[in-house]
Amino acid sequence: MLLFSCPNCGPRDETEFHYGGQAHVPYPKDADALTDKEWSEFLFYRDNTRGDFAERWVHSTGCRQWFNMLRDTVSYEIKAVYPMGGSRPDQPPATAAQTQQKGQQS
Amino acid sequence: MAQTAERENDVIRGLRRSPAGHLADAFSQGSVSGEQGVTLREVPFLTMIGVRAAPGSAVWDRLGAVMGGLPERYGQVTGSGAGDGPGTEQGVSVLWLGPQEFLVIAADGPNALGGGAAGASLLGGLLDALAGDPGQVVDLSANRTTFELAGPSARAVLEKSCALDLHPREFTVGTAVNTQIGLIPAVLWKVDEAAFRIFPRASFADFLGRWLLDGMREYAAVEVP
Amino acid sequence: MTTEHLPEHPEFLWRNPDPKKSYDAVIVGGGGHGLATAYFLAKNHGMTNIAVLEKGWLAGGNMARNTTIIRSNYLWDESAAIYEHSLKLWEILPEELDYDFLFSQRGVMNLAHTLGDVRESMRRVGANKLNGVDAEWLDPQQVKELCPILNISDNIRYPVMGATYQPRAGIAKHDHVAWAFARKCDEMGVDIIQNCEVTGFLKDGNKVVGVKTNRGTINTEKVGLCAAGHSSVLAEMAGFRLPIQSHPLQALVSELHEQVHPTVVMSNHVHVYVSQAHKGELVMGAGVDSYNGYGQRGSFHVIEEQMAAAVELFPIFARAHVLRTWGGIVDTTLDASPIVGLSPVENMYVNCGWGTGGFKGTPGAGLTFAHTIATGAPHALNKPFSLERFETGALIDEHGAAAVAH
Repeated sequence: MLLFSCPNCGPRDETEFHYGGQAHVPYPKDADALTDKEWSEFLFYRDNTRGDFAERWVHSTGCRQWFNMLRDTVSYEIKAVYPMGGSRPDQPPATAAQTQQKGQQS
Repeated sequence: MAQTAERENDVIRGLRRSPAGHLADAFSQGSVSGEQGVTLREVPFLTMIGVRAAPGSAVWDRLGAVMGGLPERYGQVTGSGAGDGPGTEQGVSVLWLGPQEFLVIAADGPNALGGGAAGASLLGGLLDALAGDPGQVVDLSANRTTFELAGPSARAVLEKSCALDLHPREFTVGTAVNTQIGLIPAVLWKVDEAAFRIFPRASFADFLGRWLLDGMREYAAVEVP
Repeated sequence: MTTEHLPEHPEFLWRNPDPKKSYDAVIVGGGGHGLATAYFLAKNHGMTNIAVLEKGWLAGGNMARNTTIIRSNYLWDESAAIYEHSLKLWEILPEELDYDFLFSQRGVMNLAHTLGDVRESMRRVGANKLNGVDAEWLDPQQVKELCPILNISDNIRYPVMGATYQPRAGIAKHDHVAWAFARKCDEMGVDIIQNCEVTGFLKDGNKVVGVKTNRGTINTEKVGLCAAGHSSVLAEMAGFRLPIQSHPLQALVSELHEQVHPTVVMSNHVHVYVSQAHKGELVMGAGVDSYNGYGQRGSFHVIEEQMAAAVELFPIFARAHVLRTWGGIVDTTLDASPIVGLSPVENMYVNCGWGTGGFKGTPGAGLTFAHTIATGAPHALNKPFSLERFETGALIDEHGAAAVAH
């Protein structure tokens, strides 16, 4: 049983949460303009990192809020919990221009 | 007209069945008195109103004015019923469920949901305060029922299947949280040093009722030193 | 106990060679799929100057961690074709490999617990029959006749409303399967190299020309990836991405009991599948953990829920003890079907995404992947399972038949 620190509710059992997969996947800025390959990458391709992985979780049976978490996928150690819209704590924040280029950041 | 509606509501009230009504006898038989005692009862048909509003918004302020303030942090309960102990359910309380989501709890009756003049009820007052702006006021009275678990062993019964730290140092009187009890989601409100209100969804009430009864059983037996 | 009755120590089934400077093909991953691929490369395509690289010990990954269920009752034509071919190979392999790996065709039941389950199951039985896969629909009474220890009363949370049944399905002894393939590979000259971890790939433009390992660089003309849960890691080394997520999947065994469970029972709805191994231990698989994980372990509550479901379905299990639990890493795709075919890198081929289907698919994967590597083009059976399907939209959605891990 993993213990997650919900940003709103504090430490809670893993069973109170649901997994949302990789964090920081931008929705394509102009989805209609994508090629089939690009669209398939947006739909089906996600990082499958062995090591520190930024992912989304929702506190389903608590405050029902989403948040981001940086977790080691080998040791399962939780490195950081940070709000939706925030940038990975172990990476420099993206510049406004980069965000603009990649589309809406989630 | 209003009087007709009132009478019809009374008829409907008489027809209601509470989600754990069929367990009333089992609850009273399973309740234990004494130093190791723990009692369980259902408080049926409390009025529950779901409220959503963004802190800092005008809607937040207006809804807060109706309720005497909305809770601003995890665990907080506001309203005239915030200090209610076990067995009293006359006040109106607002429980924090999330940063923008709250649960208003009040006694059953026409004052809560209407039947009288529009706007005179609690629900009507909140809807007036919302005034169609972004936010939500919705009657959720049928969504959950209310259990009251009380007595010196109440905490011990809960601790069997609730992973929260329920020690009084950490979980103080007047705290309400959304969590899991016996694998099901439920709101847990500590109304007194030895009394908890539990709000399970209606469809889980039978399961949770029997689950708690099972947890209470050992306290009916003579303690072996 | 005297030593005179102990069996003789077996001779080694394969050599333990050092890697050569170069091979015609290198298979990464010395589990069931890697060994089966090498076997069919040597046997069907005459490629014997090949190596199987294993970073740990032979068949120590998912091959050592699965619940050994073999069946082919998948919904779609493409899946039924490859899994049924695989099942037919299972039926002849003990003789072909000259190794009795205890393939026991004791039948597999997939329980239906809701009306939705019933409809889906009946549909699958119909689809299976059209594809020549043996399949039957059983009502609860017939379920009870086949497996008397199952609780079919309607007094439980998820009552048994019926089941699909595949009589030719069953279980096999997983490590014996690996040893059987390894021995034959070795006899034909394949180098099985253990403790050899791949750390990178040598490329000439977009063409792979070698493999970097902790035991030196190996030149090769072709590379086949058979690394299951670690496929994404290898693909990243080679410079491409795979539509795969790796999750923990757990299983457990009880202590040994006399034989009480004559078949294999699976329930997708309550996330449990149970068989009884030849020695007598009850072998149970749990549901998949929701999060990505390479830790080869999962969360306790998953095991707890699985045990609760198992005890409800099989009341006599209440007195059994859990002897051991463990976890593996399953590589899952969005359509719960595997990827077997070409990769974006020239001369590199991928076989991954089998999720929970890996063990049963071992011979089928080996046969078709060997064909793909040898000829540079997919076999008819694995053609639909290409990476391109995620682009064309020709997905093969097997969430209904693929059990719990997707």
